[in-house]
Amino acid sequence: MTAILRNNVDVDGPVSAGPMVFVHGFGCDRSMWRDVAPAFVQTHRIVTYDLTGMGGSDLSAYEPRRYADLQSHADDLLEILEALSLRDVCLVGHSIGASIALLAANRAPERVSRLVMVSPSPAFLDDAEAGYRGGFGREEIEGLVGLLEENQLGWSMQMAPTITGQPVEAPSTETLTQSFCRTDPEIARHFGRVTFFSDRRADYERAACPVLILHCSDDALVPMNVAEWMRDRVPDATLEVLEASGHSPHMTVPDKVVKTIRQHLGTA
Amino acid sequence: MSFERGDGLDVATELIEDAPCGIAVTDPDGRLRYVNKTLTQWLGLPPGGDPSRATFASLLTGPGRIFYDTHMAPMMRLQGFVREISCTLDVQDGPPLPVMLSGVARRDAQGVCTRFDYTVFDARERRAYEEALRRAKREAGELAAIVSSSPNAILRVDSGGCVRSWNNGAVRLLGRSAEQALGRPVAEAIQLLDRPDWFMREARALQDEAEISFEARHASARDFEVTLAPIGERGLPGASEDWSVILRDVTRRKQAERRLQVIFDEMRHRMKNTLGVVAGIARQTLPRPSAEQLVSRLQALSSAHDALIRPDDDIGSEPVVEIGALLAFSCKAAGGPARFVIQGPRVRLSARQATSMSMALHELVTNALKYGALSSEQGQVRVDYTLDGSGETGPFRLRWREVGGPPVTPPTRQGFGSKMIGLVLQAELGAEVRSEFAPEGFRFEVAFTAG
Repeated sequence: MTAILRNNVDVDGPVSAGPMVFVHGFGCDRSMWRDVAPAFVQTHRIVTYDLTGMGGSDLSAYEPRRYADLQSHADDLLEILEALSLRDVCLVGHSIGASIALLAANRAPERVSRLVMVSPSPAFLDDAEAGYRGGFGREEIEGLVGLLEENQLGWSMQMAPTITGQPVEAPSTETLTQSFCRTDPEIARHFGRVTFFSDRRADYERAACPVLILHCSDDALVPMNVAEWMRDRVPDATLEVLEASGHSPHMTVPDKVVKTIRQHLGTA
Repeated sequence: MSFERGDGLDVATELIEDAPCGIAVTDPDGRLRYVNKTLTQWLGLPPGGDPSRATFASLLTGPGRIFYDTHMAPMMRLQGFVREISCTLDVQDGPPLPVMLSGVARRDAQGVCTRFDYTVFDARERRAYEEALRRAKREAGELAAIVSSSPNAILRVDSGGCVRSWNNGAVRLLGRSAEQALGRPVAEAIQLLDRPDWFMREARALQDEAEISFEARHASARDFEVTLAPIGERGLPGASEDWSVILRDVTRRKQAERRLQVIFDEMRHRMKNTLGVVAGIARQTLPRPSAEQLVSRLQALSSAHDALIRPDDDIGSEPVVEIGALLAFSCKAAGGPARFVIQGPRVRLSARQATSMSMALHELVTNALKYGALSSEQGQVRVDYTLDGSGETGPFRLRWREVGGPPVTPPTRQGFGSKMIGLVLQAELGAEVRSEFAPEGFRFEVAFTAG
């Protein structure tokens, strides 16, 4: 299966325009970009996709052993860039998607020329020894994995209609079940672990291209000191703090996000 | 149904404030705009809330805060609702409270998100039940993993003798896929030589035993150890009475056993032949009385080897001898049951102990015939022995008492027989030996740890 099919890739915008590829984070899928990506469709070649194992991607391709390493998601992204023959790419990643974008940029600097990171964090776990406060302890992350097990978000409901003989796609069932952010619970738990236990500080410290960091002033997942750590440690990084609360400014304040990215890409 | 005019507002306020569930309203970015009294009390917050906990996420424990940001907030925006989310309230000065929450996003006429409304239900009981379910599921999963990865064939068979489950071990061991085996009579799916209807036969024979185990040869010429055990409670009305059937491949062990048996028989055969040859040489070399004495001693030794058997249930261990067989053999030549009263439990001796004991018994019998009780017609030998502890091994004590013989006078010198007894029992076995030339009859006692 090609990377395009595997990762449910969607392409829009002028063929010759500079490419922008959006990488979603943990918890949802590419639909998270629906208030941001279209804003660039006049000026850029827009690519959105689902990480392997999420959304409309080929779930059978999610081999737990392979995807225990975040780099595998970055390799998938590079396969997509290659399949679309994209060069001089601006990668826009949210949260763990930002780390995936960074790993891809570091591995293939010849393809990726800019990084836009929305609410990124190099490591969510505290590292007392290094004086790094990621914001979370091991127990809280274990607790999250437990929550993911408890909350299957309609995954089991999705299976239910086939048992009673109704087609899954019937509109009545679709509107009743929680269809967004629905992930195979096994994959959700696995990717949750990979996300929140990953520590990519060393990779952030050798980012291979200019980085724009968007950070919300009141982000419950990423403390301000982590944003400052990135501003100080990531080479050629610019930190923009958005007056907003939450971890997903691309959903809560998409206009601010679009405006800030435009300013930095010089296409305002 | 509607409220009385005039009461409506009060009732509605009370309904919301004191609802049997928590109610919270937030801005689309998660900032709290309203928290009802029930939820405030659950959280242990002062009336009016706590300014340091100004967002919906801040009401939740750490994992819940992550889940809010990664899942709930995006879902509220993208699909407009969340339903039956299991998470936990971070209670001020109290244990965390498991809750089930649902939310709905409100939009204005232009479709712009204006607020999120949440209802929060106490889910302590439900959580405890779900936790028990999950634990049971995990345990079942672990057991299933053990069964499916076992090298043994492990199957479930229903009371009618048909295969209900067939693990990977069964596929490997019996060369038959689960599809080929499921639903078929197990005695047909697994054909054992000379046991056409083995399952029903064994199941019927089981009665109240916990399990039954036997060894049999499979049609593929492999040997299996087969164990049948009932699953679940017997005799419960309506409960299925299924069986677990476990097959272990013992082909290699059986081959080794057969080889050992051949070697063992060959050894015994050669040993006897050698002793026979030595007896022949003795007869031709020594004066007749001495020769006969030696030959009878050699025969005693040879008889000990004949008595060597191996216990069926402990293949591969050293050969052992049952003391009763040894005594019977030793006493036969001297009149058998007519002259001997033997009493004692089953006791297993090691090969070495058996050899020493048979030599000693031979000397005792010979002396009794020559000088002791057996030299007169009424004389008898009473042998009784005891064993401490359970099983057939342990501290062993044998008493030899001669009665009804001529009066005993202690010998002036120790004969060869007595020396021999001391030699084989004390030096060889480290046994405790005592002999007494009592006037009414010779007595002898030996004690060692049998087995």
